[in-house]
Amino acid sequence: MQFFGGSEISPSPPVPTATGNNAHMMYIFNRNGVCLLYREWNRPLHTLNPQQDHKLMFGLLFSLKSLTAKMDPTNAEKGNLGIPQLPGQGCSFHSFRTNTYKLSFMETPSGIKFILITNPRTGDLRETLKYIYNLYVEYVAKNALYTPGTLIKCELFNTALDQYVRSIA
Amino acid sequence: MGREVSESCIDNLLTEMVSTYCNRFYANKPELAARRIEAIGYQVGHQLSERYTMERPRFSDHLEAIKFICKDFWFELFKKQIDNLKTNHRGTFVLQDNRFRWLTNMSIEQPPENGTSEELSIVADNKALQSMHLYFPCGIIRGALSNLGIPCAVSADISNLPACSFVVRIKA
Repeated sequence: MQFFGGSEISPSPPVPTATGNNAHMMYIFNRNGVCLLYREWNRPLHTLNPQQDHKLMFGLLFSLKSLTAKMDPTNAEKGNLGIPQLPGQGCSFHSFRTNTYKLSFMETPSGIKFILITNPRTGDLRETLKYIYNLYVEYVAKNALYTPGTLIKCELFNTALDQYVRSIA
Repeated sequence: MGREVSESCIDNLLTEMVSTYCNRFYANKPELAARRIEAIGYQVGHQLSERYTMERPRFSDHLEAIKFICKDFWFELFKKQIDNLKTNHRGTFVLQDNRFRWLTNMSIEQPPENGTSEELSIVADNKALQSMHLYFPCGIIRGALSNLGIPCAVSADISNLPACSFVVRIKA
């Protein structure tokens, strides 16, 4: 698995590894929109260059989160659309599904966003994303050689992630 | 001896200690930083060995003391024993831990073969930082042994992670 060049902020996608994987790709963003990890296992169609792709993804989720929170019928207060929400405030959006893929999303209280794109038949992936967050804490957050806010270049994390994703039903 | 502390707390404290000594206190003098970290380990090992040998009789010879380090001492510190002990019967012992607890979460990515020189120097820096983390456990072993009356020199070898070997040379 190799990372070729790429700018500091957004990594270029690596060569896809095993085929027949259930998951297509995965993004991890931090609170400031920096893409910490982009991992691709099965993505036949590339439309944008990596930097634009990451910006689009982050913007999409930011807006979706904001919109779903504001449209919440059970919420008493009526804020203005566009005000940034703190992680955990209001209702939390967790997935959307199209006829060709399903996107699952999880945001941690520290602002780390996990996005996993899989085939549309997968069930609820909230527990999966929680487990991946656990892997992140063990191999990235606790890694003495990792500087927070930079690209994740930890082999142990990558291996554990690949192994786990392969086992998602 | 019932009080406990969270393991993540200790891990983070050690990481921060190494990083502070290497990057702030002795920024361009890695040998001084290494010596300082090892000295801290020495104090810690000294006091820990006092605590863990409270009810035991004196050790009859060097091998007994090293075996104590491998079994009881290592178990108290890391919840496991040393996996492999080798000696040349002339004062050198090699203690091998196949999964050293403080190194399990550390990893860096290997650059591609045609990486730029900048990337390669980053990898070299990371390797240096990784070896800095080993001075503390080396100091602990040295402190523990010297408290038991065995002056020695300890160095570490991480040629195959996550296994870690500590080489103890007893001063004659």
